[in-house]
Amino acid sequence: MEGKPQDERYLEAAAEYGAALHRLASAYEADPDKRRDLLQELHLALWRSLASFDGRCSLRTWVYRVAHNAATSYVIGQRRSRASAWISLEEVAAVADPAEGEWAAGRRHSVDRLLALIQQLKPLDRQVILSYLEGLDAAATAEITGISPGNVATKIHRIKNLLTQRFHEGVSDAE
Amino acid sequence: MQNNDIRNLWQAQGSADAPLTLEELRQKGEKFRTTIARRNLREYIGVALMVPYFSYFAWTSRLPLMRVGNGLLVAALLYMAYQLHRRASASSTPGELAWQSCLAFHRAQLERQRDALSGIWRWYLGPLIPGFATIAIAISIPLFHRSIGAGLLSFLWIAFPALVLWQVARCNRGAAAKIQRQIDELAAAERNSNSGAPV
Repeated sequence: MEGKPQDERYLEAAAEYGAALHRLASAYEADPDKRRDLLQELHLALWRSLASFDGRCSLRTWVYRVAHNAATSYVIGQRRSRASAWISLEEVAAVADPAEGEWAAGRRHSVDRLLALIQQLKPLDRQVILSYLEGLDAAATAEITGISPGNVATKIHRIKNLLTQRFHEGVSDAE
Repeated sequence: MQNNDIRNLWQAQGSADAPLTLEELRQKGEKFRTTIARRNLREYIGVALMVPYFSYFAWTSRLPLMRVGNGLLVAALLYMAYQLHRRASASSTPGELAWQSCLAFHRAQLERQRDALSGIWRWYLGPLIPGFATIAIAISIPLFHRSIGAGLLSFLWIAFPALVLWQVARCNRGAAAKIQRQIDELAAAERNSNSGAPV
């Protein structure tokens, strides 16, 4: 990967992680217009950052770090005075789901509920749940977020319980 | 619905299409750079215009206190220009977004916000206060000599902006304290993570 020009690296990263960036933007911004702007900002941040890509980490870690950090920077700016409204995974689990039992209403509805759940989380919990949903393992998530793999595993356990509680109608977690 | 189904459902959304072409990225990147450069230039021009203005009064005023006040303002403006230059030189590079983990980056962002709030007083508004206060006193003294009422009115003239500044400082302190609580929370998460305790 080292030695490739910035544009070439960007095109490769955008092709491989473009859809993930799209999902990440929707997890950080609920408003469709602002979400489009955020997605453009994420791509711009990625393109600019790749000028100094030095191979100190994998392209995947690089892309997710840039995307999460740029998106966190964005939400801090947007919600500077309302950061206290963010809650942790534990707090979310303790609150009853307002749409309980409606999950079967369709896939779109389930995704919307999932997005609503993610958008109220504190940045660190949001980063871990998004990494889990993107299929990253604990070691990769730890490298991106900066918390230990053990702590990532604990958080993922909580996330699985939370998803079971919110999205499984009497179905036990088979994972 | 199993957790794997939720993951599949999640991963099924989103488009891989890049929202911007390379040319548009280049244009936006250039616009970003010029916006920052223009903002810094505006600040420098502001200082460059104010320094000769206050220098003139520091040189020509008949009242010694007026000279001192204007001199203090010139010194404060030069100090501000130095701080602006130092901060502009130390601004973050695009690669920093990837070099730091999310936890470290979030903490650094919050620390930057907290320092910006306290910095307003340390190097932006704060250094101007001695100069303006000295000028205000220099104006009030002759008014007191004329009549007590005029002198008191001039004190009110000083007191009102002082009260506004004090209120702004109080709000800034409150906002900085809120940010500090978030920083402490992240620092604790980092410590616990390093020691193996749950975060």
